Amino acid sequence: MINDKNSQGIVDIIAEYARKQSLFIMAYGTGCGAIEIPPTLTSRYDAERLGIRGAATPRQADVLLITGYLATKSLKRVIRVYEQMQAPKYVIGFGSCTINGGMYWDSYNTINLLDKYIPVDVYINGCMPRPEAVIAGFEKLKELIQSGNALGWKKYEDNLEEYRENQKKVIVNWQMPDYNW
Amino acid sequence: MREETTTLYLGPQHPGITGNMMVKLQVRGDTVEKAETHIGYLHRGFEKLMERRNWLQSFTIVCRICVPEPDPNEENYARGVEEIEGREVPERAKYIRVMVLELARLASYMLWYGGQAGSAGLYTMGQWSVGDRNYILDLFEELTGGRVYHMYIWPGGVRRDLPEGFGDKVLKTMDYLEKRLDEYDRLLFDNSIFQKRAQGVGIIDPKKAIEWGVVGPPLRGCGIPSDVRKDDPYEVYDKLDFEVPNIDGNSDVWARALVRRQEMRESIKIVRQVIEKMPSGEYYNKIPNPLKWSIPKGDAYVKTESARGEFAYYMVSDGSDKPRRVHVKGPAYVHGITLLENLLVGENIADVSFIMNSLGTCPPEMER
Amino acid sequence: MENKELVLENTLVQALQEGFTRLEATVKRKARVEAKIDKDILPSLLLFAKEKLGYNHLSHIGCVDWIEDGLFEIVYILWHPTEKINLLIKASTERENAIMPNIDYIWRQANTYEREMREMFGIEFPGLVGRKDFILEDWQDIPPMRRDFDTEKYVNEHFFNRPGREDAKDVREQVAKRSGEDIPEFAKKYSRK
Repeated sequence: MINDKNSQGIVDIIAEYARKQSLFIMAYGTGCGAIEIPPTLTSRYDAERLGIRGAATPRQADVLLITGYLATKSLKRVIRVYEQMQAPKYVIGFGSCTINGGMYWDSYNTINLLDKYIPVDVYINGCMPRPEAVIAGFEKLKELIQSGNALGWKKYEDNLEEYRENQKKVIVNWQMPDYNW
Repeated sequence: MREETTTLYLGPQHPGITGNMMVKLQVRGDTVEKAETHIGYLHRGFEKLMERRNWLQSFTIVCRICVPEPDPNEENYARGVEEIEGREVPERAKYIRVMVLELARLASYMLWYGGQAGSAGLYTMGQWSVGDRNYILDLFEELTGGRVYHMYIWPGGVRRDLPEGFGDKVLKTMDYLEKRLDEYDRLLFDNSIFQKRAQGVGIIDPKKAIEWGVVGPPLRGCGIPSDVRKDDPYEVYDKLDFEVPNIDGNSDVWARALVRRQEMRESIKIVRQVIEKMPSGEYYNKIPNPLKWSIPKGDAYVKTESARGEFAYYMVSDGSDKPRRVHVKGPAYVHGITLLENLLVGENIADVSFIMNSLGTCPPEMER
Repeated sequence: MENKELVLENTLVQALQEGFTRLEATVKRKARVEAKIDKDILPSLLLFAKEKLGYNHLSHIGCVDWIEDGLFEIVYILWHPTEKINLLIKASTERENAIMPNIDYIWRQANTYEREMREMFGIEFPGLVGRKDFILEDWQDIPPMRRDFDTEKYVNEHFFNRPGREDAKDVREQVAKRSGEDIPEFAKKYSRK
């Protein structure tokens, strides 16, 4: 999945450069990490100077922030949101709970490994990650975008069946349209 | 005129909703005819997890129950354990606890300022108040090591003493905030957009409010000065001088906003008194080895006044090293479900998130 | 216990015992009075407390699973807005086919608590309206808050686990090794297998 610099054409490099400059976050506070998003976006940390800001609808957003644990009921909505977003799209796993379940590893209602259900490009660890950590995570994402390695969305398209199988293991009543690319 | 109604799903993914929840609206035109709250998007099963963890391990997860204001949870849990066990708390620890609780209340209200104004389309307010909230979080960070989750108030006292010169820093921040509050007044309360949006919207019937289970600022907005800090004093609130706002208003969004505005000044007053009266001495009554620590059989009902209202814990111990049951009831459990469903009927769609913000609906404490 | 301080509490206990014969009432501490009653007369006690005694604020309904005794203990906590007393009323029901009287005609917010208890403990409330799925969605196991529900087993069956690092070490053993002491007997059960 790792691209080397040589496989990128000049158009790709320009396009990726443009993409990384404006990252719109999907406004969906899926977990408790959503509490550190307002400080990140407001006056002190002011993430907007780095091209990071909120977007209200999936179609306009580039980045899906999974802020912490995902209850199985939320997972269904997150998948729906993720599939509505337009490629190229990136996922940031925010907080320890997305990495291994964190504090809620033995909870019957939260998933433990986020990247089994949707592809994750960058993880930010901590409970809660500070706004500086959030910004650092976004900087890392920008690096990945520029080098053409933030390809989670492609991975999702290629391995859709595998992801779908995992998702349907948790979501009992799958009443959603089955997208296929 | 068309007769049929439309079903509108507000949330869980919606910029105006307060957290990860959903309100299913039946609308005719833009008037809400029926509202139904759907929750469960944040359910983690805290009460089950606490049954599996010992008394000290449970302490680390209780603060995660309510994200905007975690400290009342810690305080409730600690006080519940102390009540069942009969453990004394040093006087200094009680003062420190009150200081932390009031700072948390201020931080929570400042987030509310941003949310309430943002849902009326006034985004400058959020930039100011959420930015200034960082100064309080800085204090928390110095005191406890964490900005959001502190895990500071634990059974037997608090986790560490105040750092050197901390009192002065708190007072300095309070002076700054007091100055800023006047500016907030000019920005939000003098703003005719906010006045027109807030007055006469989301009216709770004052005669029914107590029976409906309304608590906290919405109840005080009805002109009923009910506050756990006065009615059932805990820690050292009975030794402090403060007033409960008595708003002779219309019990609408505006009245609730006035209550919160006044309470911020009262909180600043309390913090100043606490720093002044803080006794010296121990801050922690040491608990035994946490792995062997079991609590005698019994139960306790403890409650705290959080920024959104009465936060109550019903705790049961069966004599073992793990809690038998910790039942958490946050204020939003009533405000966000039965009260909201009834208040929204007849309101405009545009006011839905405005009313939700004024009630302080916070989904993580509804479903835990 | 100083009787002078607890005048209101003691009057309440008396009033309850006069009104109901099969009732045990005790003063737990200042502002906390506890009463135990049979579940069949629970609604009439709640109505009595609300209409006659002025306890018109329902603060809380909690449920405790006493699996050893085969009982669910349900506690209703009422609040008197002027006398400032919390009245805890406890009633029990059998764990098998648990049924409790529905009280949402007395306080409408009781509906929320009852729907949650129906979902989390499997207690039935005859006449309770509202969606079956309240917090959980498409739940197929036994109600999760019951003591016999094993959440760790459920997690292992339904969710993935990230394998630990290969060089992960048991902290307890490392500390014991460094300080040259043995791990105490009681702490051994917590060690990594």
